[in-house]
Amino acid sequence: MMKKILVANRGEIACRVLRACREAGLSTVAICAANDQGTLFTELADEVVLLEGDTIATTYLDQSQIINAARSTSADGIHPGFGFLSERADFAQAVMDAGLVWIGPSPHAIEQMGDKMTARKTMKAAGVPVIPGEEVETEDEEEALIALQEAAERVGYPLLLKASSGGGGKGMRAVTSPDAFEEAAVAARREAVAAFGDGRIYVERLLSGSKHIEIQVLADRTGTTVHLGERECSVQRRHQKVFEEAPGPTMNADLREAMGAAAVAAAKAVDYEGAGTVEFLLAPSGEFFFLEMNTRIQVEHPVTELVTGVDIVREQLRIADGQPMSCGDLHLRGHAIEVRLYAEDPANGFLPAIGPLTVFRPPEGPGVRLDTGVREGDEVTPNYDPMLAKLIVWAPSRDEALERMRRALDEFVVLGTTTNVRFLRELCDNDDVVSGATTTTTIDDTWPNGWSPMQSETLVDAAVTSAAAAESFGMHRSSTSSGGAGQTDGPVSPFTTLSRRYP
Amino acid sequence: MQHRFNVNGDEVEVTLTKTDEGWAWEGATVNQHTRGRLHVTMADGRTALAHAAKVGDVWWVHLDGHTFALERMEPGASSQQHGGGLVAPMPGKVLETLVEPGDEVRAGQALMVLEAMKMEHRIVAAHDGTVTAVHHQAGEQVAQGAVLLELEETN
Repeated sequence: MMKKILVANRGEIACRVLRACREAGLSTVAICAANDQGTLFTELADEVVLLEGDTIATTYLDQSQIINAARSTSADGIHPGFGFLSERADFAQAVMDAGLVWIGPSPHAIEQMGDKMTARKTMKAAGVPVIPGEEVETEDEEEALIALQEAAERVGYPLLLKASSGGGGKGMRAVTSPDAFEEAAVAARREAVAAFGDGRIYVERLLSGSKHIEIQVLADRTGTTVHLGERECSVQRRHQKVFEEAPGPTMNADLREAMGAAAVAAAKAVDYEGAGTVEFLLAPSGEFFFLEMNTRIQVEHPVTELVTGVDIVREQLRIADGQPMSCGDLHLRGHAIEVRLYAEDPANGFLPAIGPLTVFRPPEGPGVRLDTGVREGDEVTPNYDPMLAKLIVWAPSRDEALERMRRALDEFVVLGTTTNVRFLRELCDNDDVVSGATTTTTIDDTWPNGWSPMQSETLVDAAVTSAAAAESFGMHRSSTSSGGAGQTDGPVSPFTTLSRRYP
Repeated sequence: MQHRFNVNGDEVEVTLTKTDEGWAWEGATVNQHTRGRLHVTMADGRTALAHAAKVGDVWWVHLDGHTFALERMEPGASSQQHGGGLVAPMPGKVLETLVEPGDEVRAGQALMVLEAMKMEHRIVAAHDGTVTAVHHQAGEQVAQGAVLLELEETN
């Protein structure tokens, strides 16, 4: 029986896992870099181990320091969250070698799915449909280019070049005609070598107008492997998901069963254990193709939790402890939508933003869930990923879920740091989003020249008047500027400090 | 009362008109605040609750689902209708006091010179009025937000 879990992550997902552990009656250990001291996730843990080092590589990616932290605190299991070391087979092995429980799939499963070409071959062998394409294993650059060119002729244009070790759009190139091929292949190889130290590239047909549909799977040691239905995450910006929902708006029971069965077959092919996600492209023809498997908890897992009633992180803990999973047959109820709130400036090329969260007032009320690692008064720094929060809503129907999301986003007040809240809000009015006809190119098609907010002159005038009036009322001299709950009327003490910050 | 803001790169001058409970400009009226909130009536008659907070020289305003970052252009100190005080924008030292209680001053007139962050800041009158109190003299250290002098607006 596990008693104490070390969470090898930070921010929002560390909070999610630490809370699940608390609910499961497990003690917790957080690890934190110096620049994360005092942040929310460190306060949710029973113990905190301060990591030495001032880069990500020497802190959250330092395997031996993390394993030593687990040893010194007598933790008996490690949950990796997502990102960082979550899909590193060597770390999973090191954790197990140290006599600790690794809350995730076996190193073998991680390896099999982590290398995209190996995964394609494994899936083909398991009878899971893969995107028409060809793997080129040759390491030699010149030979590889010739082989790729030949493969491209057979696959046909338009096509995608992908790095075998790739992810997040790195080492990926779309090629629409043969004369652009060589340049794209050389660039993709160069990028892949730089990012992953592995220049192997493969060719896939480019399926335009496709939807991104992924299936959540759970597998335990008693031999049970189930799927928890799909999530649609078509709305992406530079291969980063922005808007996710369950169930898929164009899904039907037959397709769900077929894709679910394929996902379960994929998991079984690598003796999968724990929670994982099998990603597919769903072509306009209705055909679906294996894209990749994420061998960890995913950012967008809450939408599945809300429509299935399954606590996926809690199941991860149960399964890692050798217990059977607790969920029974799949019953989908209502509709859930998640949006990712980023500290970024959508009107300025989505550049990351930093600043204080002077006011951070998330929406509340029925059907609203917020998974975040920050709170009012925190500082958004350039040290880590700029995702501030995931806002998830549930409602009985998709239309009602969209209405609820609009309401929730309108209520979301973040002052002091620029965020993408308004962009997400406008996304909820997008024709494709409303009809459910979203594809992976929806954002680029809707805003080919970048996004800027739609604001009437009346609204801008009223906002400027508000700022001027706030100044004249002296609001910045009262306690409210820092978001505190102090009373604001009455004479202002000459000793009151302005809630101002100077960068 | 006048304010200048940088609105999406454009300088916008706002001349507020006093109303019973607040201020008005361009058909919009903004009423008294509680806990960081303002009651806003827009020119088209719609009403909404706004949240406002100042960070540095920037007023952040959340209104009707939109967020605005409006930089206040006036350098140095800010003038206050609320209580009539003129406050120090940051901690510093009073270099010079240019007025005495009872002096009649014009909008834009310098009242005090403050040294803060190695720079001189002139505390200016935002409106015509009468100086009713001077709380700090040359050489004194003042805390951020300290009321430096008080001005009664001429009606």
